[in-house]
Amino acid sequence: MTTERNLLHAQSILGDLTTDWSQPAPDRYDAFVQPDNLVAVVTTLHQDRWGYLAAITGLDKGPEVGEFEVLYHFCADAAVLTLRVIIDRADPVMPSICGVMLYASPYERETGEMLGITFAGTPDDAWLFLPDDWQSEVFPLRKDAVLNGNGGGDA
Amino acid sequence: MTQPANRKRFTVPIGPQHPALKEPGHFAFDVDGEIVQSASVRLGYAHRGIEKATESRTWVQNLYLLERICGICSHIHATAYCLGVEKLAQVEVPPRAQAIRSLVAELERIHSHLLWLGVAAHESGFDTLFMYSWRDRETVMNILEVMTGNRVHYSANVLGGVKYDVDDQQAATIREGLDFLEERTLHYLEVVSTDSLFLQRTRNIGVMDREAAQLSGVIGPTGRASNVQRDVRLDSPYAAYADHPITPVYETTGDLLARFVVRLREQLTSIDYIRMLLDHLPNSPLTTRMPRRVKAGEAISRVEAPRGELFYYIKSNGGDMPDRIHVRTPTLCNIASVAQLVIGQHLADVPMILVGIDPCFSCNDRTSVICQDGQRDMWDWARLRQYGIDHYGTHYTKDLG
Repeated sequence: MTTERNLLHAQSILGDLTTDWSQPAPDRYDAFVQPDNLVAVVTTLHQDRWGYLAAITGLDKGPEVGEFEVLYHFCADAAVLTLRVIIDRADPVMPSICGVMLYASPYERETGEMLGITFAGTPDDAWLFLPDDWQSEVFPLRKDAVLNGNGGGDA
Repeated sequence: MTQPANRKRFTVPIGPQHPALKEPGHFAFDVDGEIVQSASVRLGYAHRGIEKATESRTWVQNLYLLERICGICSHIHATAYCLGVEKLAQVEVPPRAQAIRSLVAELERIHSHLLWLGVAAHESGFDTLFMYSWRDRETVMNILEVMTGNRVHYSANVLGGVKYDVDDQQAATIREGLDFLEERTLHYLEVVSTDSLFLQRTRNIGVMDREAAQLSGVIGPTGRASNVQRDVRLDSPYAAYADHPITPVYETTGDLLARFVVRLREQLTSIDYIRMLLDHLPNSPLTTRMPRRVKAGEAISRVEAPRGELFYYIKSNGGDMPDRIHVRTPTLCNIASVAQLVIGQHLADVPMILVGIDPCFSCNDRTSVICQDGQRDMWDWARLRQYGIDHYGTHYTKDLG
C-alpha cells in the first residue's frame, strides 16, 4: 500500500508537468516529460523529498527512429518512478539537473560520454570513464557505434 | 609567522595506481598547506565495455559476463540480473532457490566486509588487524567453496533458479564457520571501538550527517552510518527477504568510526540471517524452466550489494539477446560524496576517507583500448580473448620448456 500511495502522490504533485503516465508494473510508474519541463519536475520531487535519484539510463533507439530516450529512475522504498525524456538524435541536448541534485553529476557524465548527449549546464563534462585522449566522435553505447579498429582514438 | 599574500594552492594528484584500495582511480586534490580545498575524480581505468558487450550475447551468456563485473560481489550482480530477466519472462523461481540466493548473498557480504575491514585497517597503518581479518576471511571463502566449488565467482545462479543445494553436511560446515566468524567479528567490533590509536584515525573524521548524506545521494553501509534508512532488502524485498525480513543496521554519528561499526554489525546480522535460513530452508526444486527468448519489455531490478543498492535496467525486444542492460553500481552513487567529504580535512586522512565508502572501481568501470608501440587500437572482445589465449599459451609452453 505504501508503494501505491507513494506513486499516486508523485502523480499528484507532478500534475501538468508531465505529458502522459503508464504503469508497467505494480511498483513502477513511468512519467513522460518534455525536456523543457525536466528541471521543474526534478525540483518538485526534490522539494517534496520524494525518494532519491537511483540512476540515469540512456537509450539509443537507433538511427532509423532518430531518437534518444533518457530515463531518470527515482526510488522511494519499493516504488520506482521513471521520468522518460525523448530527445532528437541529431541534436542531443538535455538540461542538466545538477543544479537541483549535484549527485546526478556522475550519472550525467556517464550517459553523456557513452551516448554523445550534451547535458547543458552540467558542472563537469570531462570524461568520467573514457580515456582522456578519446578524440573521435565514437560514442560506444550508440547502436551504430563501430568499435573495431581505431575508432576509439587517434593512432 | 605571517603567510605570504600570494600563497599558491597546490594540486596533489593521487592515483590512478592504488589511491586507497588496490584498484585504479584518479583523484586531484587542491590543497592549502595540509588542508584539502577541493577535489575531482576520474574513473574508467578498469572499464571493459560490459554493457555494450551484453547486446551481442544471449541471455544465458550474459549471466556469466555480468557476474564478472566484480570479483568481490559477483553473486549479487548475477542475482540482480536473474531477478530482472525472470521478471520479464514472468517466471516464478522456486522458494528453495530464492533462499539459497539470499544465503550466498549474505556469505558474500561477510566476505566483502571482512576484505574491506582489512584494507581499511591497512590504510590506517593497523596491519595486525589487516592480517587477522584477512586470515578470518578465509573461513567464509572456504564455506563458499564448500557450497559452490569456487571462492570468488561462485556462479550459484542460473536463470530460473540456482545450481547448488545445501545438504546437512554442508550446513554443519557453514554453522561451524559462522560460530568462529561471530566470535571474531565481536572481537573486531571491540577493537575498532576501543583502540585509542585507531580511534584517532576514525572518530570525528570524514563526518557526514544525515541531511548531507541524503543530499549527496549516499547509499549502503556508508549511508546507514549516517542514519540514512535505506536498505533494499527491507525497502523492496527480493529472494528470501520477503518471507524473512532482515534487521537493518543504522548508526548516527556519520564518521569513519560509524562506517566501521555499521559494517561489523552487518556481519553479525548476516551470520544470524544465514543460521535462520539454514533452519528454514523450504523444500522445493532448485530451478524452473526458462524460455530461450524473453518477452519484450523493460524490467528494473534492485538488490542490496555489500556496498549498497545495485540497480539494473534490462530491456528486451523479445529476442534471445537483450536490447540494453544498464548497471548502476553503488560506488557511482558514493564516489561523489568523497569529493565533498575531504574538503577541510587533512591530506593524510584522504585515503581513509576514500576507503570509508568501500569503493569498488571494478564494479564501476565496465572498451578496451590497447596502446602498443605508440599505436592506439580499440579491440573487440573476440580479439582480446584470442590475445589472452595466445599470450598464456606462449608463456605456458615456455614454462614447460
